[in-house]
Amino acid sequence: MNRRDYLRTATAVGIAGAAGCTGMLDSDANPNVTLGKPDRDADITSEDLPYPAWGQKVPAVSLPAPLDDRTVDLRSVGKPSLLTFFYSHCQTVCPVLVSAMRNVQTHSLNEEYADDVAFFPTTFDPARDDAERFRAYADKMNVDTDAGNWHFLRPESKDRAKSVVQEEFGVRFDRTEPDDMDRYMFAHSALTFLVNADGYVERAYRSKSPNADTIISDLEEVRA
Amino acid sequence: MNRRRALVALGGLGLTGTSAWVLQSDVGESDDALPMRVETLDAPGSSAGGVRVPPENAVTVLDLFATWCAPCEKQMDALTAVRESYGDEVAMLSVTNERLGGSLTKGDLREWWRDHDGAWTLGLDPASDLMTALGAGSIPHLAIFDASGEVRWQEGGLTDEETLRTEIDRALREA
Repeated sequence: MNRRDYLRTATAVGIAGAAGCTGMLDSDANPNVTLGKPDRDADITSEDLPYPAWGQKVPAVSLPAPLDDRTVDLRSVGKPSLLTFFYSHCQTVCPVLVSAMRNVQTHSLNEEYADDVAFFPTTFDPARDDAERFRAYADKMNVDTDAGNWHFLRPESKDRAKSVVQEEFGVRFDRTEPDDMDRYMFAHSALTFLVNADGYVERAYRSKSPNADTIISDLEEVRA
Repeated sequence: MNRRRALVALGGLGLTGTSAWVLQSDVGESDDALPMRVETLDAPGSSAGGVRVPPENAVTVLDLFATWCAPCEKQMDALTAVRESYGDEVAMLSVTNERLGGSLTKGDLREWWRDHDGAWTLGLDPASDLMTALGAGSIPHLAIFDASGEVRWQEGGLTDEETLRTEIDRALREA
């Protein structure tokens, strides 16, 4: 047993022990994750959900990180990571998702654990979101791209975006042509994932406005 | 599992609209967390320190914003107009939930404030406590408190000047 596994087991035992007082069942623990089962209806399991959920492995996909000139294999990141899915022309949900992630990044810089976490905002609009666009968007959203832990990911094509973002991650998106706009947009669902160093999903936040402090607190447990 | 098939049957993950600026709030409202203390910044119309939210004995307009939020820039016009006509009759407070650090400094925030003619109290809510207390799931988000500290009106999305005046007048009248 390596140190990380040992620590995780120790943490899980700790949680299970404390939770015993409130009647949590054994099935609420999972050896691959640090965080306990999320609050959801008792008869729903991670397998029932259309996205990778608590205790499941992150999909085995590799995506280009255009600002880093490399490809990221999401199962081999080796440190806790946060993923979300967006497109930069979005004016509603995406800036809120990205800003929540940005607030976590800033916390990691302020609290000096920036090297122990990675951020992977992934576009589903590769036609418009290229490296140059990512740079401008990072600037607008006050993201620190010099910190070395923020990596925009870009599927190579529209089809690749569908197969990865929609089919692997369960984030549905449909192109729309709003009457009051001269460009296309997307209707899409909102998901942010917290994945641990071993590539297992600790949390899938289904919110259009995820609370950065909740993520920071969950991340702290996962990092411990 | 076949994710695509599961998606077809999925009701819980709603698709979001594309033409509106507004998000639906999906945070439970729990204003029993109020009043709370909010840190304030030294900026035009604002001084460093803290304020109680809501302030005591004042009708207050609260504006939740962020510097990256384009409609929040537009919102400043209506707020500025309200400020100019009501003066000290109403208290005004704009609060960002952005966490300072990284590539966003107090100087950047002050610059945004100056660029958009801010002239009232500017506050910081890095843990989004105020947003949570008000159940705000989007920005801009405006709230009006009456003089007894009750939320009389609140709404997410860009609010026009006329609506603001109507709601402020109501809070003043009923105070």
